[in-house]
Amino acid sequence: MTQIPVLPFERSRHDDRVIAGVCGGLASTLRVDATLVRLVFALLSLAGGAGIILYFALWAYDGGRRTWPGAVLIAAAAASLLLALGLSGGAVFGVGLIVAGLGVILIRGGSMRQGGSLPKLTIVLMVIGAAVLLGHVGTSNSFIGPGAVLGTLLLVLGPWIWQLWREHLERIRLEERAEVAARIHDSVLQTLALVQRHADDATRVSAVARRQERELRRWLYGSGFGDAVTLADALAEAATDVEELHGVRIELASAGDLPLDESLEQLVLAAREAMTNAAKFSTADEIAVYLETDGDHIAVFVRDRGVGFDRAAVPADRRGVAESIEGRMRRAGGSATIVSTPGSGTEVELTLPRAAQ
Amino acid sequence: MIRVVLVDDHELFRAGVRGELGTTVEVVGEAGSVTEAVPMIRELDPDVVLLDVHLPDGGGEAVIAAIAQERPGVKFLALSVSDAAEDVIGVIRAGARGYVTKTISSDELNDAIVRVSEGDAVFSPRLAGFVLDAFREGARVGDDAELETLTAREREVLQLIARGYKYKEIAARLHLSVKTVEAHVSSVLRKLQLSSRAELTRWAHERRLI
Repeated sequence: MTQIPVLPFERSRHDDRVIAGVCGGLASTLRVDATLVRLVFALLSLAGGAGIILYFALWAYDGGRRTWPGAVLIAAAAASLLLALGLSGGAVFGVGLIVAGLGVILIRGGSMRQGGSLPKLTIVLMVIGAAVLLGHVGTSNSFIGPGAVLGTLLLVLGPWIWQLWREHLERIRLEERAEVAARIHDSVLQTLALVQRHADDATRVSAVARRQERELRRWLYGSGFGDAVTLADALAEAATDVEELHGVRIELASAGDLPLDESLEQLVLAAREAMTNAAKFSTADEIAVYLETDGDHIAVFVRDRGVGFDRAAVPADRRGVAESIEGRMRRAGGSATIVSTPGSGTEVELTLPRAAQ
Repeated sequence: MIRVVLVDDHELFRAGVRGELGTTVEVVGEAGSVTEAVPMIRELDPDVVLLDVHLPDGGGEAVIAAIAQERPGVKFLALSVSDAAEDVIGVIRAGARGYVTKTISSDELNDAIVRVSEGDAVFSPRLAGFVLDAFREGARVGDDAELETLTAREREVLQLIARGYKYKEIAARLHLSVKTVEAHVSSVLRKLQLSSRAELTRWAHERRLI
């Protein structure tokens, strides 16, 4: 049995309480004005006393101190609201069964998410509930009935959707963070490493630093990525940069081109990182880069004839390949394949489906 | 010994190439313009002419146009820093057996000259990309369907060239002999030169405007 999620609601214990502080607490949880909440409760009280029952329910619940009495009272409040809205007793019973089914999920720890499993009891309860509900909706007040059902479902599913949304936001935040980290890794950390290695070469160091400053400014305040407007141009720019920074030769070929957009920029950045890796680690003095676009995909190949590497031997804390190439392509909706044999070079294949654009 | 005439308007570059060519290749003459090159090639009758795409009084195309008909034995290999598709496709259509960029390594250049002298075609990755683009699937088919499309195998070979694979590596990867790979490339070259499709030239020009 899993932990039942605790709703972040507590009675207000401050001066703004009128009766038991339920409205004040709810207002601060929802970050709305307490008067508005009180008004809603007053209106709900007119609907068969639902507001009053709900008030007692939340009072009982009070931050998870008394969960079960709270749950039962909330169910009673919902039922009286539905009855007041004109739903027949049978329909309310159907809704109740559906809600019970959802409740089982909470207790048994099933999931309605993709790939999650539903408890059998939930399915049974929900199917019967739906049948009972459909059997009664038509015979009762036909206009308000469906609306009330919808409202109830929203009420029941609301917290669950809210939680999914929160997780979604969190995921976006993590992805953004990973992207910033990858960007810093590609640019600033690389430049700092270069500066350390060529500390005695003042011209080179200042050139590299200037370039880095330009890039960072552009990323922070400007259009974000170069002046190139097409994918092939942006790849050529990236290739020139890598040539300049690492003194290698990059042979660039392309079949087809596309206007640059956000996911293609990610593709260019991943390709740039692949070129940088080849320039730094392969010992090959020439790198071949090929861009291909057709009806359903975009592919970039980065190949060198250098020493190659054994993927298993790369320390896990080296972020270059995992984050800047593979992670980046994944986030952009594509994929990266790295084929390398020690002694006979490396080829990185980056692909992006056209649909990902 | 393969006899080569070098046509390029940059003295320094010619000296560089001369120094890089190995023992199998001998530079018998050098020219810096179309007017200089044409009589020289007629007189020396070399095996291979190494030709810059851009020359002050015309271009590689003009040299090929003046010579190719009367001297079918002379092979042309275009050498350029130019990245423009129209230049590359133009000089190939005029009759060059191959196109390499000036950044090519000495070994590869020697190899390319030998190959061209033997009648094979030499494609740089860039040229392979251009050709794949020009012969895009779904493009309109002209009078002679065979000349207008690439076979799946030809496409595969060209794609690997574009990805920087050498003929030997392509042969190993596709389980073919090097000879077969060469045959595929020569076949593509023939299509490139004989294809009547106006698209090819139009494509090359339009490509600049993207």
